[in-house]
Amino acid sequence: MHKTIIPLLLSVALCAFLPPRRITVWLVGDSTMANKEVRAFPETGWGMPFSHFFDSTVSVDNRAKNGRSTKSFIEEKLWQPIVDGMAEGDYVFVQFGHNDEVKEKTGRYTTLDEFKANLSRYVNETREKKAIPVLITPVARRAFDAAGNVRETHTAYADAVREVAARLQVPLIDLDQEGMALLQQMGPVNSKWLYDYVEPGEHPNYPEGKQDDTHFSELGARKIAEIVLKDVRSLRLELAQHIYVPKAK
Amino acid sequence: MQQHRKLFFRLALGVSIGWLLMAAAIPRKKITVWMIGDSTMCTYDANRSPLTGWGMPFAVFFDSSVSVANRARGGRSTRTFLSENRWQPVADSILPGDYVLIQFGHNDEAKEPQYADRYTPVADYRKNLLRFIQNTRSRSGIPILITPVTRRRFNKEGNIMETHKEYTQAVYELGAEQGVPVVDLDTRSRELLQEFGKDNSRVLFMELDSLENPHYPSGSHDNTHFNEFGARKIAELVWKEMKRLHLELADRVRMPIVK
Repeated sequence: MHKTIIPLLLSVALCAFLPPRRITVWLVGDSTMANKEVRAFPETGWGMPFSHFFDSTVSVDNRAKNGRSTKSFIEEKLWQPIVDGMAEGDYVFVQFGHNDEVKEKTGRYTTLDEFKANLSRYVNETREKKAIPVLITPVARRAFDAAGNVRETHTAYADAVREVAARLQVPLIDLDQEGMALLQQMGPVNSKWLYDYVEPGEHPNYPEGKQDDTHFSELGARKIAEIVLKDVRSLRLELAQHIYVPKAK
Repeated sequence: MQQHRKLFFRLALGVSIGWLLMAAAIPRKKITVWMIGDSTMCTYDANRSPLTGWGMPFAVFFDSSVSVANRARGGRSTRTFLSENRWQPVADSILPGDYVLIQFGHNDEAKEPQYADRYTPVADYRKNLLRFIQNTRSRSGIPILITPVTRRRFNKEGNIMETHKEYTQAVYELGAEQGVPVVDLDTRSRELLQEFGKDNSRVLFMELDSLENPHYPSGSHDNTHFNEFGARKIAELVWKEMKRLHLELADRVRMPIVK
């Protein structure tokens, strides 16, 4: 009797002293996700508010970078250091498409086949490190038709992400669809608040003003980050156990 | 004679161009902008976001000649800011040319019994503001009065209501009497909210559905405190008012990215 209970008690006691496992959430993607310099404010990537949503066991390492496609992110050696830094149980959130899909953007443009192959590579290399990949469709742009209905701007590339996610059984966050739903809910006029819209003379960073239907304001970035978090919960990722909980007052 | 004249003009031109170049090259004197006020102005930890005081986005407007020291604190009136010894350390640190931005009122005017600890009658409010002004000036600092930023309160017709009346009035009077620039944030922010309208103006405040944001699991419904978007809009109004008042501080904003 004692022979079994004592080691058990000991191990329980030991466990209590072990520090909780630390997780890194790596954010891999483009300007809509990236950290912004103060001189670009109020432009905000959704990774910025997202990084404050977790408790102290999680650190969010936002490696997303303006203007990058799946291809240029690898070619510029932005991906390899992430693979090298990954530990078992880490998460890798991958969101590309905005730059992959633009034919005029030489050096970033990625054909659909290349796009899918690159996404698969991000997934496979993440899994080789026993980390957990999460694929994200490219977040919606602000585009409406004359009737006030939100327009799809990423069709083929969003579908490609869905396809790779289904084939490799990767958790999928559909920011294309969910972003469009948010835009529709706010409507063609009010949805400007979500994006980097500044009147001339309003903000020191944009003396001539700014009208940007791709990049978010601090409000839009946070709303998108909240959608991502909601999906972390509904996908039942273990990461959801590490969401910040305020201390009871 | 003609020759001399030409030479003179050339010299004069050269000297003035040189002077301009030098002026541009001389770095501006470094200054501190001290911010004293309440919860609508103060800084918050990231784990309370999106709750944002307008001092937070305001602080990043400026170039490297300006450092912003936001000493505003939630729940403080002019009276408790003084009694908790929050002002004296600021007053002792002011250097010539520093600015002191003063925005109180929300807590001074709170007459409800549960806020007795902070309530300050308008006469005392005036007296306390005057003390901030005089202490600032005695250190050769530049005081700026700011009328209390509006709350989100509309009447049935959808018109924004004035909620700070006598306290805002006291700031006007004191500003005129003492020759202190007044940033009329009460009026400007009411105009902003009116532009958004009764319902849409929620987007500026701490309005969150339950479970929307992990920092506020049971949501938030707040017509006083700003979210990150509202705080930035308010900071922009303050900067605009400073430009209108031709405050030198308004020119010390960061250089925009040249594209």
